Amino acid sequence: MTSGTVILLTGILCAMACALPGTFLILRRMAMMTDAISHAILPGLVFGYWLANSPNLLVGAVGATGAAILTVSLVEALQRTRRVGGSEAMGIVFPAMFALGTILISRYFSNVHLDTDAILYGNIEFSAFERLVIGGDDLGPQSLWVMSILLIVNIGVLTLLYKELKISTFDPALTQSLGFNPILIHYLLMLLLSITTVGAFTAVGAILVVALVIVPAATAYLLTDRLIEMMVGSAIIGALAAIGGYWLAMWIDGSIAGGIVTMAGLFFALALLFSPQQGLVAQRRQAHLNRQRFALDMLVMHLYTHERTADEYSESSLGHIGAALHWNPDQAMRTIGRAVDRGMVVRANGNVVLTEQGRHYVQRLSVMDRVRSE
Amino acid sequence: MSTLHDLIFDYTLRNVALGGMLLGIVAGVLGAFAVLRQQALLGDSLSHAALPGICIAFMITGSRESLVLLIGAGIAGWIGTWILLRTVNATKLSEDTMLGVVLSVFFGVGILLLTYIQQTNNANQAGLDKYLFGQAASLIARDVWTFAILGTASLAIVVLFYKEFKLLSFDPEFLASLGLPQRRLDLALTSLLVVAVMIGLQTVGVVLMAAMVIGPGTAARQWTDNLRTMLMLSGLFGGLAGLIGAVISVQASHLPTGPSIILTLTIIVVASILFAPRHGIVAEWWRNRARRAAFQAALESGERPS
Amino acid sequence: MGTKMQHPIDERAAVTVHDLTVAYREDPVLWDIDLSIPTGSLTAIIGPNGAGKSTLMKAILGLVPPAAGTVEIFGHTSERQRRLVGYVPQRGSVDWQFPTNALDVVTMGTYGQLGWIRRPGKAEKQRALAALDQMGMADFADRQISQLSGGQQQRVFLARALVQDAQLYFMDEPFVGVDARTEAAIIELLKSLRDHGKTVVVVHHDLDSAPNYFDHVVLLNVQKIASGPMAETFTTENIERTYGPSKSARTKVAAS
Ligand SMILES: Nc1ncnc2c1ncn2[C@@H]1O[C@H](COP(=O)(O)OP(=O)(O)O)[C@@H](O)[C@H]1O
Ligand SMILES: [Mg+2]
Repeated sequence: MTSGTVILLTGILCAMACALPGTFLILRRMAMMTDAISHAILPGLVFGYWLANSPNLLVGAVGATGAAILTVSLVEALQRTRRVGGSEAMGIVFPAMFALGTILISRYFSNVHLDTDAILYGNIEFSAFERLVIGGDDLGPQSLWVMSILLIVNIGVLTLLYKELKISTFDPALTQSLGFNPILIHYLLMLLLSITTVGAFTAVGAILVVALVIVPAATAYLLTDRLIEMMVGSAIIGALAAIGGYWLAMWIDGSIAGGIVTMAGLFFALALLFSPQQGLVAQRRQAHLNRQRFALDMLVMHLYTHERTADEYSESSLGHIGAALHWNPDQAMRTIGRAVDRGMVVRANGNVVLTEQGRHYVQRLSVMDRVRSE
Repeated sequence: MSTLHDLIFDYTLRNVALGGMLLGIVAGVLGAFAVLRQQALLGDSLSHAALPGICIAFMITGSRESLVLLIGAGIAGWIGTWILLRTVNATKLSEDTMLGVVLSVFFGVGILLLTYIQQTNNANQAGLDKYLFGQAASLIARDVWTFAILGTASLAIVVLFYKEFKLLSFDPEFLASLGLPQRRLDLALTSLLVVAVMIGLQTVGVVLMAAMVIGPGTAARQWTDNLRTMLMLSGLFGGLAGLIGAVISVQASHLPTGPSIILTLTIIVVASILFAPRHGIVAEWWRNRARRAAFQAALESGERPS
Repeated sequence: MGTKMQHPIDERAAVTVHDLTVAYREDPVLWDIDLSIPTGSLTAIIGPNGAGKSTLMKAILGLVPPAAGTVEIFGHTSERQRRLVGYVPQRGSVDWQFPTNALDVVTMGTYGQLGWIRRPGKAEKQRALAALDQMGMADFADRQISQLSGGQQQRVFLARALVQDAQLYFMDEPFVGVDARTEAAIIELLKSLRDHGKTVVVVHHDLDSAPNYFDHVVLLNVQKIASGPMAETFTTENIERTYGPSKSARTKVAAS
């Protein structure tokens, strides 16, 4: 394998592994927990490396996972004091952990091989050169092994717990009554997130982890409402971002992690703009159509409300309608025109009069029909 | 004594200490508002979102002047916040999700631009990466002056519009019913938070800003039930953490400034949660103990406890 | 062209709402509402959850923009009449953990008269204290607001409206989650306000007590179902049209 292929594969596997738990984090409104964990594992990683006296992957990962679990526990302990809110607790704990990690590196373990920049944006660039060597045998790039195992673990756990996770995400009360423990499920998800973050972090750095957990899942959420589609979709979007981002980075000769995140951001922006339901463009168009229909409804409703009342005549005059409904003359004319086209009203001597069809339409519109029909 | 001497006469220490203290005060006061308005993690997103702004400002102007870069940072932070609020309003994505999206995407773009700049400006790294982790030692007197002016202006606005900001934070609907412009005041307060983050980038860096915004206010809240006192304490705690952390980092070699400030701040926060009178955990424990003892005594004396 | 007859403005109306339609994101929440609230009345706005009661209030206050229609307060726009209007939002709409005390919250009622930048001084504090006293809360002036019971919090909110010294009061569900004593105190206050010539509009959810508390009523469910003097308007038939037949059992009791 060329080094490019290794990088690309690492990115794809990493993106898919991160996206799967990301789906649940977003639905549970816990996305920022990823941010907290990805930064807070630093001291654990340093400690692990120091214990092993080398950047030993396994020991480092154990230390980092410990730090991740410590972070989750500290955040929840702080919340339980009832003196600090959830986001505040996160915003206090993870910078403290990160600061501790940075100080440990600079002060005591400057011999430990850990480049501070790499903490934030990783060194996926070198993934081909870090080999997994067991008993003298070179088994290939370490990152590929790590990412593959992560992906398999995530798929396995999420498949096994799919039903429980789904129920506890959408209906925590029901979870309890069905006999699952929602707290246990929460901690399992946190554990999974911690392992994923640690594994991905060592390959791609903190920010790429956050981005790959959150952004593809958020993108998929804009495109679908179904959980299973969201999971598969986010994995595919993540993989595409890895491929596109790699090329982008090659092209402008920049950081590959930065390229992948940028690409994921681009996909998100596209979904935000053009998603058939949630997209801003579709919403705009829908709003425009709604406004037209709404204006029409308002017109006929207005006429209907004042029909057979004392001020019927004044309220239905062409001049007054616009003023009453806050329309400029142009808008009033267009709406009345549309109503005439649909046979809901007719014009008569400068007044607008409901037709039978128009009356019928209003009666279907609203609760008013119940009121009037009595 | 020698610390005091150095503080006055040592150029680097003086700048670092003043920079840290200014940041602490401004971020403390504005962060307290953010915490009260349930926008605690906005500072985190904002600081990450600033990075591409710094890079683009450099690419356009070629200047390394901190004011120029910080203006770029401010604009990018602003755009990030705007996208965040806009998207949360218009789609089903939660605020929490959008905080993460803005944070990571803006930062990723920033990293891409940063590495691009580093490639094209070959040997000269442009010194932009000091904004990642903060590099207080690189502060020059000019920077400190810039911070001082920005910070004083921000605090002056807070003092001037204290009444309005207070009502905005407590009951924005009532504020609007009085005819005050809710949206514009909201905009103003968020912009001031952007300024606080701008001041902090060079001193503590992107990652640690979250704590700089949240920590002082959270600590101050434990000591008082009065907003004015809380804001002043928040500024005080932030300023103290900035000053002490900066001095420690310069005096003890090999200690980066940002982390040193943040750890000092963390100690203040934890101490406040534990030991603040009345609200503190220890005080509560003490009260409960006394109550239990009284209850026990009442039981033993055979009276019915009330 | 037809006669350019203006909609007749009721000289004695505190609030005139004409053809008001309000939509959040194009989904109409209030539909073509026409109503007027007489000066000096104690008016209840009644309707099921999500009927748009709060929205109607906010639209009259100018807090949400109307999609169509006009609102007049004593014959002018609400923008111009701000000083004449006092508002009590739903109690649940604020964070009661906020670091402030009862007196301070009540003093916020003077902010409108103070204008920009000027701070409340002795005179404002005095008025706030007097309002607290009127609500039987003088002893709690220094109390942190989170330490107050629901009823006490509601009284603080009412005291804040009192210092606004308005002619027209809007109160959103002031009886929710309060104790019986507070409920009695509130209704006494409302009646005394009316007796002093003020107009009071209250979102109310309890059908049983409505006829005893109020003299006018607006029945609302997206559209205005009926409005007018309590005795004529608050009929089983109208209530049924507002809530649907399910509530009829209760309303028979109420109407009896
Ligand atoms: N800010 C808002 N954005 C979108 N929809 C809203 C908003 N406020 C209220 N609504 C919707 O408008 C309807 C009426 O709300 P509201 O006036 O609060 O009713 P009520 O006070 O009678 O219970 C409800 O369906 C509610 O969901
Ligand atoms: Mg309501």
